[in-house]
Amino acid sequence: MSGAVADKPDTITSRHDPRFEVTLYKYVGVEGAHTLDAYLAHGGYGAAKKAFGMEPSEVVDLVKASGLRGRGGAGFPAGVKWSFMPPVDGRQRFVVCNADESEPGSCKDRYLMEDDPHQLLEGMMIAGYAIGATKGVLYIRGEYYHAYERLRDAIEEARQRGYLGENVMDSGFDFDVILHRGAGAYICGEETALMNSFEGLRANPRLKPPFPAQAGVYGLPTTINNVTTLASAVHIIEKGADWYAAMGTDDSKGIHHVQISGAVNRPGVFEVPMGITYREIIFDLAGGPKGPAKAFIPGGTSCPLFPFDDEHLDLPMEYAAVAKAGSMMGTGGLIVIPEDQCIVDAMYNVTRFYAHESCGKCTPCREGVSTWLPKMFQKLLAGLGTPEDVDLMEDMVSNLRGTAFCPLADACAWPVQTSLKYFRNEYEHLAQHGTPLHPRKDRWQS
Amino acid sequence: MKIKVNEVELDVTPGTSVIDAVFAAGHDVPYFCSQEYMSPIGACRMCLAKIGAPRKDRATNDWILDEETGEPKIFWFPNPMATCTTQVMEGMVVDTISKDVKKAQNAMVEFTLVNHPLDCPTCDKGGACELQDRAYEYGSGESRFVFDKRHQEKHHALSELITLDRERCIHCKRCVRYFEEVPGDEVLDFIERGGHTYIGTLEDGLPSPFTGNITDICPVGALLDTTSRFRGRNWEYHHTDTTSLDDPSGAALRIDTRTGRIERIKAGLNDDVNKTWIDDGTRFGHEYADAEDRITRPMVRRDGTLVETTWADAAREIAERIAGMDGTRIGIALRGDATLEEGVAAKALADHLGSGRLDTAPRPAASVLPDGAAATLRDVATSDALFVVGDPTEEAGIVDLRIKDALKGVEPAPLFPHGPAIADLRLKERMPRKREILTICAPYRTDLMKHAGQAHVPPATSMVDLLHALAERASATVDGGTPSGAWDDALGMTAAEADALITRMRSSTRGVMIWSAFVSNDPRADEAARTFAKSVGAKTLILGPMANTAGLERISVLPSHDRYDYASMFTPETKALFLASLDPAVDPKVADRLRELDLLVVHAAFPTATSALADVVLPAVTGYEKDGTTLNVEGRLLPVRAAPVEAGTATDFTGVVKQLGEAFGTRLEGRSVKSARRVLRKLLDVDAAELPTTGQPLPPVRGKASGARAVREYARATGDALIVPSMVRVEHLDRNPHLRAERGDAALRAHPATLHAHGLTSGDVVTLPIGGIPRQLRVTASEGVPEGLWLAPTLPEQPVGLYDANLAAMVRERSATAEVA
Repeated sequence: MSGAVADKPDTITSRHDPRFEVTLYKYVGVEGAHTLDAYLAHGGYGAAKKAFGMEPSEVVDLVKASGLRGRGGAGFPAGVKWSFMPPVDGRQRFVVCNADESEPGSCKDRYLMEDDPHQLLEGMMIAGYAIGATKGVLYIRGEYYHAYERLRDAIEEARQRGYLGENVMDSGFDFDVILHRGAGAYICGEETALMNSFEGLRANPRLKPPFPAQAGVYGLPTTINNVTTLASAVHIIEKGADWYAAMGTDDSKGIHHVQISGAVNRPGVFEVPMGITYREIIFDLAGGPKGPAKAFIPGGTSCPLFPFDDEHLDLPMEYAAVAKAGSMMGTGGLIVIPEDQCIVDAMYNVTRFYAHESCGKCTPCREGVSTWLPKMFQKLLAGLGTPEDVDLMEDMVSNLRGTAFCPLADACAWPVQTSLKYFRNEYEHLAQHGTPLHPRKDRWQS
Repeated sequence: MKIKVNEVELDVTPGTSVIDAVFAAGHDVPYFCSQEYMSPIGACRMCLAKIGAPRKDRATNDWILDEETGEPKIFWFPNPMATCTTQVMEGMVVDTISKDVKKAQNAMVEFTLVNHPLDCPTCDKGGACELQDRAYEYGSGESRFVFDKRHQEKHHALSELITLDRERCIHCKRCVRYFEEVPGDEVLDFIERGGHTYIGTLEDGLPSPFTGNITDICPVGALLDTTSRFRGRNWEYHHTDTTSLDDPSGAALRIDTRTGRIERIKAGLNDDVNKTWIDDGTRFGHEYADAEDRITRPMVRRDGTLVETTWADAAREIAERIAGMDGTRIGIALRGDATLEEGVAAKALADHLGSGRLDTAPRPAASVLPDGAAATLRDVATSDALFVVGDPTEEAGIVDLRIKDALKGVEPAPLFPHGPAIADLRLKERMPRKREILTICAPYRTDLMKHAGQAHVPPATSMVDLLHALAERASATVDGGTPSGAWDDALGMTAAEADALITRMRSSTRGVMIWSAFVSNDPRADEAARTFAKSVGAKTLILGPMANTAGLERISVLPSHDRYDYASMFTPETKALFLASLDPAVDPKVADRLRELDLLVVHAAFPTATSALADVVLPAVTGYEKDGTTLNVEGRLLPVRAAPVEAGTATDFTGVVKQLGEAFGTRLEGRSVKSARRVLRKLLDVDAAELPTTGQPLPPVRGKASGARAVREYARATGDALIVPSMVRVEHLDRNPHLRAERGDAALRAHPATLHAHGLTSGDVVTLPIGGIPRQLRVTASEGVPEGLWLAPTLPEQPVGLYDANLAAMVRERSATAEVA
C-alpha cells in the first residue's frame, strides 16, 4: 500500500494515519451547517478574531510558514502571493475569491460553499485583513445556483449580525463581500479574465504583468485565491502553521481535496493529506476501478494523463513529483478511464469542451483548439481519417503547446498529446479501419 | 542595457519591448496584433521567439555562471514568448531564426489562415496586405486544413464609410483597441467567442468622428474604405505623401490616385503631428475633387454668358479691363487654406497693381499667431494641465486626439530606427484616463467634453465676459493677491472652480491653453485669453479657422490698412475683385454688390453662386492638387504635394499670377511655386523645396505677430444663431456622397424644447436666413445645445460666431414626416 513512502515518516501522508482529521469538510453534509448559528456553535469566526489580534504581516507570515499553496490548480504559495501586495497607499484593495470552479472533474469548492459558506467568508475576511483589503469579491460560477443562494443568505446573515460590514465584530476592521455570479464561461476561472468579467467587460485574459497585486480589479491592488485556499487559512490561523505543515511532504504541505470520478466504485470528494499516493486514493478511498482501467488524469481534464500502471499509481500526490512524472496536480480532479473506453472518443469529448470554451482572443486557441482540432476528431471518429491525419494531429497539438496567450490551449493540448503518446494504437486503428478499437457502449448499463 | 538578438549585440533602453529590440537589431519578426501607438496585447502570437536571460543568485546577487564556459548562464523560457509583450532584461538573448522558432511562426501562420478565405485576387488589400506578406515570408506555402472554412457576412456595412468582411478578419483586435485607446469612443467589440468570434457594433453605425483609421490599421482586407472599394489594385495606385489642407492640424496624408482620380486618402505618418491618425472629414471628404462639374478651362463672359477660352485669352481680357484702374480700387482675396506660395503670388499681384486691398478669408479679427510661449502638439500630448476654449474635435481633429494622449499620461516614446515603437509596453488596454487635467469651455456641449474633468457651457453671449473674468482673477492672484470678485458673476463657474483651474494651470510647468475662432473673432476675448495664459504661465495653441490662416498671416498676406480688409471688398469703393476659392455671393446682399463691379475674376474649382456672376472664371485646383507649403497650428512648416488628378488646365494661384504677369508683360514674383519659394526663403529663412514630409518647426515670431486688425464689426456678442466649426466641410457636402450619407446633411441643431416651441421636428429641412445668408439645413434635436440657441455649421463665407437668425423668414422645405410617407 505504501509504494512511494514519504521521505519523512513523521509527517502525515496517508488517510490511514490516525493523526489525520477531516477539517475543511468536517461540516459538509451536516444538516443545517450552513447557518451562522451552526457555524458559531463550533467556534466559527474565532480564527478571524484571533487574526485581528495579530499584525497583518504576522498573518501573512503564518500562512507562509504553513506552506499553503493555491488550490486552484497552479499551486502558487498563498502567503507569498499575499506578500506581493504593494504598501497601503489609501487606494481601495480587494481580495477576490475565485469560486468559478469549472474544471471538468472538479467539485471540491461546490460542497464547501453549499454546506459551509461561513467558513469561506471567514477565510476571505482573514485574507482581507492580512492584505489590507476591505472589500471581498466572491465570483461564483453561474451554474452553482444552490451555492449562490447559500452564500447570498450567509452574507446577509453575517451583515445583519455584524460579521460583515463596518467594524466587523468590533475589531475596527471593515470588511464586506460582493457576491457576483458568472455567466457560464470556463475562461472566467483564469484570474484576469475573471476580473474582466467582474468589471462587466468581455472575459478575455489580461496581459501579465501587471499582476493582480499591482493592477487587479478596476486596476487596483488585488489578491485572488481559490475557495479552498481561503478556507484553509481559517484553520491555519486557528490551529497554527505547524499543524498544517505536519501534513504532506516537503514540497507540498497540508490538506488537499481529491475529487475522483470516472469508472470507480465510490466516486466523490475526499479530504486527504498531501503526499498520499494515487493508489491509496483510487483503491482505498474510491473503492478501486470498476473494471480494468488504462489511464487516469490526476488533476482535471486540463492535465496530461497517466497510464494506469504501478509507476504512476505509486506517485505521491505532491506538486513536484507529479510535475516530474509529466503531469500536474491541478485542482485534484482525478478521472479514471476504463480499458474499454475509446481514448479517441474520450479526447474528442475533452476537446469539444475546450473548443466551446475558447475565448477567441489568441490565434492558436481560436483557430487550433476551437476550430481545427475538433474537426480532426470528427473526421477520425466518422471513419474518414488516414494515418497521415494522426501525424498531422500530433504535429498540430505540439504547435498548440506553449504558444497561446493563456493556458487554455495547453489545457486542451496536454491530454490529447499524452493520449497520442500512450494510446497511439487506438488512433491508428481508427485511421486504418474506420472503426474504434473499443466501440462505444452505454456506460449506465455496465 | 545590453542584449543579444541572433548574435547581434545592442544597447536598448530599459522598458523596451523585445519586438522593438529585434527590429532595432535589423532582424524581423512577423506580427499582426501590435500596432504603433497602441497597447500590445499578445493576441496573434505571430511574433513568437525563443528568449532567455541570465539570472542572479538571490543570496550573493552575482550572475549564475555556466559551469562550462564561465559566462553567465542563459536560462531559456520553457515556451516560445510573444516578443511584443515581453520586456527586455539585462543580458537577454533572443532567437528569432532557429528551427524551433521558425516552426512556431510557421504554425501561427497556418492557424491564422485556417479560417481566412484567401480571396486575395478579389480583395482590395491584395498587394498591400500584412497577412499576405507574412504568409509568404513565414508560411509553409501549403494548407493542411481540409475542412470548410467559417462562413460569415462578407459585405457588412459597419457604417456608410466602412465595410467589414467578417470572413477575412483575423481577430487581431487592432480596430477594437483603436476605438477605446485613441478616440475613446467604444463603438466596436468582439461578439461571441472561440471560433465564432466576430467584430460588431452594439447599435448600428460607428458614432465617432475618427472611424476611418481602422481601415488603415487593419492588417487584412476585413475593414475597407467604402469610397474606394473595388476601385483599383494597390500596385496601380500612385501614392502622394502630402499634408492635409482640410484643417490647421497639418496631418500627414497619403493620397492614392489612379488614372487621374483620387481613389482614397490614407493617413500618413508624422510622429510629432498626427502620428498615424486622421479624422473622417479629412479622410472621406475628397470625393468632391473628382466631381463631374469641375471647371477645367478658363471662361470669359461674352454677351452675358460664360464661354470657354484659353488662359492667354482670359488673362488678356483681365489685363485690358483693369488697365488704368486705380489700384486701391482692386481687391484680392484668398481662402485661408491657400498655400504660402499662393500667398506670395497674391502679394506680388497686389504689389504690381498697387493695391493694399489684399486679404484672406475667413480671417478672425484677432491674430492667430501666439505671442507668448507657443505650444506644439507634442506639448499638448505631454501636458498635465489643459484648458480648452472651443471645440477642437471639429476644428482640428488631430488636436482632439493629442489632448486624449495627454489624458493617458504616457510620454511619447522616442523613435526607433524602424519608426515608432511597435509595442510600447507602457500603453495598456483600458488605461485609466486623467480626466481631471482637462477643462473645457464652449458655448454648447462638445464631443470632447465627455472626456473632460470639468466642462462649462456658458451662454454664447458671455464667452468674452467669462474669459475677461478669468483673466482678471488670474492676474489678481499672480503674486498671491486676492481677486476683487467684481467679475465673479461672469465666470460661468463658481469662484472655487475658477480658482482650482487657475491653480492647476499655474502649478503645472506643462500647462497648455487652447483656443479657437470662438475667441479669436473678438479681439477683447483674444486679449483676455492671452492675458490669462500669460498670468498662469501656460503655453498657447491657437486654432485658426482654415488650414493655413496662420501661415498667410505670418507672411503678411494682409490688407495694408485695416480699412482694406475682406469686408471692404464688398463696398462701392471696390471696382474690381479677384476671388480665389471663395463664394461670398451666398449672401444675397453681397451678390447684389458683386453685380455692380467693373470686373469680377473668380478662381474656382466648381461653379458657385459667385462664379455665376463673374466676368472671368479661372479653373482652380483643389488642396489635393497643389504644390506648396503650409504652416500648421503649432507653427510647423509642412510640404503640400500635388496628387496627379485630371483637372484640365486648372492651376493654383501662382498659375493665375503667371498668366496675368505675361499679359501685363512683366515677370511677377510668385509666378510659379519655385519663384514663390525664393521669396519664402527670404521671408522665413527656409528652403521650402527641401522640407521633409514631416515638416520643420518654424521659430516663432517675437512680439505681436502682425499689426493689422480688421475694422469690420467685431464678432457679435448678441444673436440667437451660433455658427460652429465642422469637421465635415459643408461647402463640399453635395459632392461628397459617402460622407454625406454617413454624417448627414448640414444640421440646424437646437434643444428639443426650442424645436418644440417653433413647431419643428428632427428631420425637417428648412431654409433659415442666418446673418443674412439663407442656409438650407436639416433640423436635428440635441440636448447639448442650450435652449433658445440655434447651431449651424460654418461656411468659409460665414465664420464661427454669433449671428441673428431670422426665424420669421424661416421656410420649411420638407417635413420629416412627409419624407417617411
